[in-house]
Amino acid sequence: MRNILLVAAREYKSIASTRGFWVMLLVLPVVIGFSQVAGRFFRPQSESAYVIVDASGDFAPSIEQRLKLNYQRVELSAFSGYVQRWELGKVKPDAVWAQGERWFSDEQVEQFMAEGGIDAAAQIVKPHVPKEAPAYEIDRPNYTRAELPPGVNGTDGADKLAEDLAPFLKDSIATSEGERPLSLAVYIPAEVGADSPVRMWTNGAPNTTLVDNVRNEITRVLRARALEASGLAPEQAAAITSISVPLTLSAPPQGAGREQVVIRSVLPLAMVYLLLVTVMTTGSMMLQGVIEERSNKLLESILATVHPAQLMHGKLIGLGAIGLTILGVWVGAAVGAALMVQGVVADIVKPSLAAIEPWMFGAMLFYFVAGYLIISMLYLAIGALSNSLQDAQSYLMPVIMIIMLPVVFMMVSVAQQPNGVFPVALSWIPFYTPFAMLARMGGGVSMMEVLGTGLMLAAFVVVEMILLGRLFQATLLRTGQPPKFGAFIAMMFGQQVS
Amino acid sequence: MGILKLDHVVKRFGDFTAVSDLSFDVPEGGIFGFLGGNGAGKTTSLRMALDIIRPTSGSIEILGRKPGRENAAQIGFLPEERGLYRRMTVLDTIVYFGQLKGMDLASAKKEAERLIERFGLSEWTKSMVEKLSKGMSQKVQVAAAMVNRPRLLILDEPFSGLDPVNQQVLEDLVLEMAEAGSTVVFSTHIMQHAERLTDRIVLLSRGRKVFEGTQEQARATLPGRLRLESQGEPTGFSGVLSAKRGETNVGWTAWEVSLKPGVAPGDLLQACTAQGFALRSFESHRPSLHDVFIHLVGPGQETVQ
Repeated sequence: MRNILLVAAREYKSIASTRGFWVMLLVLPVVIGFSQVAGRFFRPQSESAYVIVDASGDFAPSIEQRLKLNYQRVELSAFSGYVQRWELGKVKPDAVWAQGERWFSDEQVEQFMAEGGIDAAAQIVKPHVPKEAPAYEIDRPNYTRAELPPGVNGTDGADKLAEDLAPFLKDSIATSEGERPLSLAVYIPAEVGADSPVRMWTNGAPNTTLVDNVRNEITRVLRARALEASGLAPEQAAAITSISVPLTLSAPPQGAGREQVVIRSVLPLAMVYLLLVTVMTTGSMMLQGVIEERSNKLLESILATVHPAQLMHGKLIGLGAIGLTILGVWVGAAVGAALMVQGVVADIVKPSLAAIEPWMFGAMLFYFVAGYLIISMLYLAIGALSNSLQDAQSYLMPVIMIIMLPVVFMMVSVAQQPNGVFPVALSWIPFYTPFAMLARMGGGVSMMEVLGTGLMLAAFVVVEMILLGRLFQATLLRTGQPPKFGAFIAMMFGQQVS
Repeated sequence: MGILKLDHVVKRFGDFTAVSDLSFDVPEGGIFGFLGGNGAGKTTSLRMALDIIRPTSGSIEILGRKPGRENAAQIGFLPEERGLYRRMTVLDTIVYFGQLKGMDLASAKKEAERLIERFGLSEWTKSMVEKLSKGMSQKVQVAAAMVNRPRLLILDEPFSGLDPVNQQVLEDLVLEMAEAGSTVVFSTHIMQHAERLTDRIVLLSRGRKVFEGTQEQARATLPGRLRLESQGEPTGFSGVLSAKRGETNVGWTAWEVSLKPGVAPGDLLQACTAQGFALRSFESHRPSLHDVFIHLVGPGQETVQ
């Protein structure tokens, strides 16, 4: 055992002293950190400005009112979801936002606005928000109306307006909220008709919602006018144009239904991903280590003091420790990031952890370690057979494809149907068992299935270790061309091949 | 009792027999030469003694036990094909091998530092092996083999790749180890080193033993040869196998004389003196191990004189 640990320590130290290891170790935390900083400081500005020249004087107030209404509708919907998730409805049970997220009619939104809109509602619930919940963040309106810039009066017709606004459509314009890119200019003639259409100019990146809202509101006003002209009272005309189908959209509350399966699977799927990344990364290090020992011709000195199986075990432990170091640092970085981003812990991490029964944590750790051993041993076997990295590549590509492709398909399949035929079948093929079982954990697997696959996997690891030990014994001092398939099988079963 | 004993050992790789029915006994103490041309089975035999590979049949005893890593603490081994971890320091490399042989860290470090100084590598102690010259790397490997002050030191072709200065350093070290009580077994196809260092030798050819014994016993397998100048013909003496006539100068003739097996040149000289056979010169020729090798093995195999 002492020599196994000595080999393990040497392997660990030799990898940990390379620059490549540190780059790999720190790449994830640095990317997470950078994305946090970049997210805060370099968030693209989504707000833009629009101008309206309304020669008729009938449309602009309606359009402005409609845009405000629609903005409040979006906020009301999001706020209702927030209230529902954090169970804040009891703060004001009769409020329009207290009955869950749904489609809100114009009347409901107008009532909401009459009560102070999103600012007032957010202030009401603020004292009652639980500690683990993030504060509700009010999004600013995506578009702000701007006055015509100095020197542009809009009274000389559409063409002159287009000419005057052209420079501003390439740049920004002053609004009550500060400078904003001018994304849309609208000209409504005194009499809208086929010969005198409404004209719009954009900066090439218009907000389509804004364009739709403007167009819909102009259409609505024109329809109301037409109805009035046909003899209907203005109130009747307004009522007809604001008709919309009554609709109740039912969906599981946030954190339930399909979303719950996804959230429950976050941790197991993250472990599958980490297992793949860790084993592929440290596996290639193992491969290089064995090839270096072979090509440097130092194996004979080592094998005089260490049994081939001990050498193999030492390598597995040392590089396993490297894998766990990477895992620890990355998981630590991910946890740190989750804590930094408000709501992630409460929305995803806690439900994910809560969905996993305590015995499952042990099973997950077992699958992770067993998966690591199974794939690492494949890399060691390739290293033992190869005289150079070029040799290794010829073995490695098919092995990686055989391992990776079914795992990738399985992960897609698990997201659709955790206990579908494909993931369940893969659970009983030892090379894929760790991946398939880990991926299925979130969807719920029986303890019997875990015990069955666990026993099979443990037996497979032992058999693989014995066969690899024999292969090590037979191939480490071998020279010349890598053995053919038949010779390779013979070596694993302890036969000596010339 | 011998420190290394092979008894009817056979090693086959598939259809190829690398070692065939090999038996020999290395007594404890002194320097033992394991001689043979390339492909004679020397390295395979040593690997079997170290349990790196297992014999097909026969038995091996080393340090009174079966071959195995449990013997590593008392063995030093320098393989023919040498290499080191390139990104390890000189000190760490020697200490690592010391620890693999059961030494504790402090003792391994102390002995490693002594050997580093002994080999003149002090200023490279903390350097990575990849920065060393080939000669310096070889010294590090020798130090790694000796760090545990082994009872049995096995050196497989230790002089290959070393320049003459470092060959001399290594020769001195081997003698020093032997004087300190270690048994040194070294294989070589360079007969010059074997001639200077060994007490006893085993000679292998194509996996088979062709001789085992002292150097003198080896030489005795060759007919004695000498050169003399006389007025008469030496062919009449009973110990003379043949005599080839050379130049004659003022009545004295030179003769290249071959003696019958077992007859020493001194025996002939004594007979000449007793019978009043006039001699002007008498030079006996001492056969080299190379001569012995060629005589026993044949000229087809590669050795270096």
